[in-house]
Amino acid sequence: HFKMEFPRCKRRRSADTEPVSWRVLPVLSDEQCQDTQLLDAYAAPIADKRQTSRLVRALATVYPMAGLQHIKRVRARKDPGSPHPLEIIVCLVRDLPATGDERGKSIAELLSSADVDTSALGEPFLVKIPASPPLTRPQFELASKHWPTSFHEDKQVTVALRGDLFTPGEKAKMQGFMETAIAAARAGQREGMQPVGGVIVDPQTERIVAVGHDCSQGAHPLQHAVMVCIDLVARAHGGGAHQYKYAHCKFSEAGSPPRLRNGSALGLEVKGNVDELEPNALPYICTGCDLYVTREPCVMCAMALVHSRIGRVFYGAASLDGALGSRYKIHTQKGLNHHFDVFKGVMEQECEDLISKPS
Amino acid sequence: MGTRSERDFRRPSPEDIEGWMQKAFDMARAALDSGEVPVGCLMVHSNQLVGKGGNEVNETKNATRHAEMVALDQVLEWCRLEGRDHSEVLPQTVLYVTVEPCIMCAAALRLFHIPLVVFGCKNERFGGCGSVLDIPGDDLPNTGTAFECISGFRAEEAVEMLKTFYKQENPNAPKPRVRKD
Repeated sequence: HFKMEFPRCKRRRSADTEPVSWRVLPVLSDEQCQDTQLLDAYAAPIADKRQTSRLVRALATVYPMAGLQHIKRVRARKDPGSPHPLEIIVCLVRDLPATGDERGKSIAELLSSADVDTSALGEPFLVKIPASPPLTRPQFELASKHWPTSFHEDKQVTVALRGDLFTPGEKAKMQGFMETAIAAARAGQREGMQPVGGVIVDPQTERIVAVGHDCSQGAHPLQHAVMVCIDLVARAHGGGAHQYKYAHCKFSEAGSPPRLRNGSALGLEVKGNVDELEPNALPYICTGCDLYVTREPCVMCAMALVHSRIGRVFYGAASLDGALGSRYKIHTQKGLNHHFDVFKGVMEQECEDLISKPS
Repeated sequence: MGTRSERDFRRPSPEDIEGWMQKAFDMARAALDSGEVPVGCLMVHSNQLVGKGGNEVNETKNATRHAEMVALDQVLEWCRLEGRDHSEVLPQTVLYVTVEPCIMCAAALRLFHIPLVVFGCKNERFGGCGSVLDIPGDDLPNTGTAFECISGFRAEEAVEMLKTFYKQENPNAPKPRVRKD
């Protein structure tokens, strides 16, 4: 079989050269990237601002706005010349009985059934307020355009969205691993396979555990690059289900089992902590490992990575039915018992070229 | 890819379905009796058994070796031995399995152009045929062919077997513990 010797020179070379030209961006959950949903609400100017705290208390009793704790009830009016510098949310439109006519309600109509002194409130008007708390800085900035909201910033996510989560040195190492995956993809292509390659790395030791490429055009249609890599990691641990006759599908003997990285940098709920498992709980052999793969995995491969407890995935090019961002986000899928961080864009152009410019 | 209608898949009769599911349940029962994961999984082509799989995750140390993946490998091997083209055999092959295939296996079945899957109980944790995702029915133009599912076949019995299995001391199962934090 193929024990491997990895050319280290390539990695060193790329580490010494210019800063990399690509950006690595996180693939966040739908909740983290969707546009802020908005709700219709009535707000009114506060004519006498000494009444503000009384009004906040009174309106919170009549219209508590359940589930909207992120909304600040009072905002400072944007126009500094305004005679009434503060505005308060009276109620949500959905809190009122539907009449079909939502415009032009008076304060008396809005608070008809309540015992609230409304003399300090001006004419109500319609506003849109964010329906859910912002999870990322872009969501917060968008939400704040509509109405002030509170934001518990996850700094790691903010940094990741700027493309600055990794240092130039870390990116140079990533490039080295992706270059190995690209070389495997090209080698597979020369064997008549799809030009997709992958590398599984133990980030603690920076050691490559397995390299593989697509083998699906041969005897086995399911031997996508990721499936091959996972099976090669199993072989490295003395298991494995298949033999691969290709020189660029290879593994190195496993050293000590990789340790789990501590949680998600991207604000994911990380389940399946390794401490909850038996110390030698097999076959979660990819626990704590990183996968570098030239193309976004399909849903079969993405779920195989969940079953194998991969630590992080870095891919170059997106794919049409891709399951780590494009069509599904298996790594953040609700209901699954393992979540992991995914980053895209590593050597994106070179990975795109594998598909669009076959060698 | 391509549409199913071109291939005019010959559906098994209700009696055939009943008979093959009986065999799948027998297989699951036998696995349970020998302390293995009680899942029975058969692949049938023209009313002939062409693949049969049990979970091989522990012996291969590969977490993707679910019964369906093992059975799919056997179908390929059957095609090789019989000198048959798998691209003709697979679109005429039915999977009978006692538990809903997971998301990975469901996608593998699409990639193999399997037309029909008959299963017993749902798999709430990983199920890819309706429980967590609906892989057979979703619009995935680059992931093989959509397939039909017949679900809930003797579901209670399938669940009972799994419950019995997980109640037994299973040295390979993750031990649930109370979270420390």
